Amino acid sequence: MDALLDITDLSVSYGPFHALGPVSLTVGAGEIVSIIGANGAGKSSLMKAIVGQAGRSEGKIVFEGEDITARTTAQIARAGIALVPEGRRLFPSLTVEENLRIGWEVGRQGAFGFDEIYALFPALAERRTLHVRHLSGGQQQMVALGRGLLANPKLLLCDEISLGLAPVVIADLYRIIPEIRDRGIGIVIVEQDITRSLAVADRFYCLLEGRVNLSGRPTNTNRDEVARHYFGM
Amino acid sequence: MQHPNRLWIVYLARAALFAAAVVMAVAPMLLATRDIAILTEFLSLLTIAIMWNLLAGYADIVSVGQHAFVGVGAYALFGFAAIAHVDPYLAIPLSALVALVVALPVMVIIFRLRTAYLAVGSWVVAETIMLAAGKLSAFGGGSGISLPVSVVRGFGSRVTERYATIYWIAFAVAALALVATWLLMRSRIGLGLTAMRDNEEGAGVVGVNLIGLRVLCFLWTAPFLGLAGAVITLQKLRVSPPASFSIIDWTVYVIFIVVIGGIGSFEGPIIGTVVFFLIREYLSEIGVWHFIILGVLSIAVVLIEPRGLWGLVRRLLPADVIPISRRRRVRR
Amino acid sequence: MGELANQIVQGVLVGGLYAMYAMGLSLSVGVMRFVNIAHGDLIVLFSFLILALIHATGIGALPATLMTLPIAFVGGYFLQRFLLQRVLGQGVLPIILVTFGLSIIIQNGLLGTFGADTRRVSGGGFETATLRIGGGINIGVLPLTIFIVAILMVLALDWLLYRTRLGARIRAVSDDPATANLVGLPSARVYATAMGIVGVTIAISAGFMSIWTNFDPTAGPSRLLIAFEAVVLGGLGSLWGTLVGGIILGVAQALGAQIDVSWQLLAGHIVFLVIFLARPEGLFPKY
Ligand SMILES: Nc1ncnc2c1ncn2[C@@H]1O[C@H](COP(=O)(O)OP(=O)(O)OP(=O)(O)O)[C@@H](O)[C@H]1O
Ligand SMILES: [Mg+2]
Repeated sequence: MDALLDITDLSVSYGPFHALGPVSLTVGAGEIVSIIGANGAGKSSLMKAIVGQAGRSEGKIVFEGEDITARTTAQIARAGIALVPEGRRLFPSLTVEENLRIGWEVGRQGAFGFDEIYALFPALAERRTLHVRHLSGGQQQMVALGRGLLANPKLLLCDEISLGLAPVVIADLYRIIPEIRDRGIGIVIVEQDITRSLAVADRFYCLLEGRVNLSGRPTNTNRDEVARHYFGM
Repeated sequence: MQHPNRLWIVYLARAALFAAAVVMAVAPMLLATRDIAILTEFLSLLTIAIMWNLLAGYADIVSVGQHAFVGVGAYALFGFAAIAHVDPYLAIPLSALVALVVALPVMVIIFRLRTAYLAVGSWVVAETIMLAAGKLSAFGGGSGISLPVSVVRGFGSRVTERYATIYWIAFAVAALALVATWLLMRSRIGLGLTAMRDNEEGAGVVGVNLIGLRVLCFLWTAPFLGLAGAVITLQKLRVSPPASFSIIDWTVYVIFIVVIGGIGSFEGPIIGTVVFFLIREYLSEIGVWHFIILGVLSIAVVLIEPRGLWGLVRRLLPADVIPISRRRRVRR
Repeated sequence: MGELANQIVQGVLVGGLYAMYAMGLSLSVGVMRFVNIAHGDLIVLFSFLILALIHATGIGALPATLMTLPIAFVGGYFLQRFLLQRVLGQGVLPIILVTFGLSIIIQNGLLGTFGADTRRVSGGGFETATLRIGGGINIGVLPLTIFIVAILMVLALDWLLYRTRLGARIRAVSDDPATANLVGLPSARVYATAMGIVGVTIAISAGFMSIWTNFDPTAGPSRLLIAFEAVVLGGLGSLWGTLVGGIILGVAQALGAQIDVSWQLLAGHIVFLVIFLARPEGLFPKY
């Protein structure tokens, strides 16, 4: 079977600074792939490059059999890739519902509508007319995730969605991830927290200084080995 | 960049610049009165252009109101020389001082605006100062007034003599503006300014005091603009709100000069002023069209080569003709 | 006493026209975060367009203005899409220089085409009708109409920005164009649509300006300054604030003109500077 996302020799640089690559990786439909790596390993650069928002990138990105390397960010979003970006990046002058609607307006049909999102995140249902700047960090992250899901993507990219959140809130968010996968959506999660992310992942890639130095299935891999590669020892 | 073989062009350009400076220093002995008048205008405009370039090209103060200080200098000269009967030669530096004093409150107002709004904000202030100048009855109110003959005589009893004197004053002002600003740019302050031009956020992070630099640049330009205004008044022999505070002459033309010549470089304003005078000499018969050409040209520059004509030339050269950084090459 | 009250009423009504000039600027400042230096010149450009349409076809001022609305939308759209967009997000210098160049091109293009004469469009008697209120106060039908239209424009823009999908998109792009792209919104097209709307406000104000006041090819900058002052006074991005800002300027000018006609403009600028120094964030800041 062809992979949902197939990346070949992708590299990213910012001016003279080389941040990522070359890396090659694949993500299948209905699969959770975890990208782990220390601060500055290039995880966010990888996510941004997939949606066409990284500095200068080279290599080839194929999504559902089509080369999307040269497409604009908005086109990639409409093709079915949603990125929940690092730091949430909500629209502060929009209400909860308006933020969600912007995702919905990508115009893709699928399992997620407003009712489903409000069922997944009841806290948002009560606050739909509030401006997002009045929400807690966890609720803001729910809006960011909801906004991504309402686009009904085939591939969901989550960049550090647990950053700065309380453990209970993180547990809540991570309960939802496998449910999304079970609807046939491919998921990439980026985390610094190895334990949390490997617990839900089907496969993982470990990045060190912009390159993949270990990959495999969490179930088949020794934790010490992961830790050694994570820190580059 | 490696163009060692082209270094001779740079030396040639420096020699040409030096030769031009020498010729200009003795120009009144060589040229006819009409040409001297044009060169005087050239030097005044060059002074103003150097100042606008320092603000917009380095300090990120994109002002559209610097003509205010030219006008203030003009009115100050008239006030000292014609009303207070101060020695006319002393009145000139005093106009610079007045421009500096006026710059303080102006700065307090416009620095409260974010950079995007500062442009029109500075224009509002300039407009207000111009309208206020029109309320000064001792200065002829809205229609202006001519310099008394006694003051004019102070610069020479014969016309040719007077033209030469005023020319040399303009030359001294432009030379002072050029050399002093060049020294400023070569100092540590200049290093900070260059860092700011290249990357404002980065410069802030490495400890360049952005606000301090902006204040310094703004106050730096005011006295020179005041001097230019004084020289222009000596040449035109008259002050009036619309002419002394002319936005077309002292801001619109100046912006075109700097943008087309090359903003954010030392050579840009010089090249721009030369090109501008060529366009004006040869294309002034086409009336409004020369404005349209200048407008289209400046938009094209912003879209195609933001560093202007000098940016185009500089790509081919291994070094600046007027070197600003003391070390020959800054390693990245 | 009655005379003073009358002057204040006239000033408030003039403020409606000023607010109209300012509304498009407020929108472009709020959404695209730049000040279009050619804003006033575009108003004057459309006044001349309306004048030319009237001369060419013999229709009235109102239908001529209505005819220019679609032109203004498309013009604003393309201006943003193919010129301004190219220099957006590169700092303030390029956008100021481009709109500045545009301003000079428009002024001199108009001078070349129409000459330097002062113009005015006839409103067909409408512009001279007045209502006598009593107490020495007379209200012109035209100024009153303009004032009401200005209020309707604020209501319409407010509704558009805060009650419609297009408005939510515009605000999203204005908050963060990169993230808007990420969720599939083509920022460049949304900006262009917003500028098309700005164009429509420009054409409406041009229509009213051309009946009520004299204009000539170089009248743009004074309109820009008034519009800018109204926007800053009201608080950047606040439409109701812009209306209030316009009224304050109108009243200040009317009272200044009481001293002496030559004080009219100066009084407006001085009142602006004083209020600005006291409240740099404007009277009704957005956040
Ligand atoms: N816009 C940029 N300009 C210059 N350098 C950048 C930029 N973005 C990232 N970098 C650099 O590229 C490298 C990789 O950054 P990236 O954000 O991809 O790392 P990361 O793995 O996501 O780190 P973190 O865990 O901190 O989020 C870092 O050294 C970073 O400093
Ligand atoms: Mg990251």
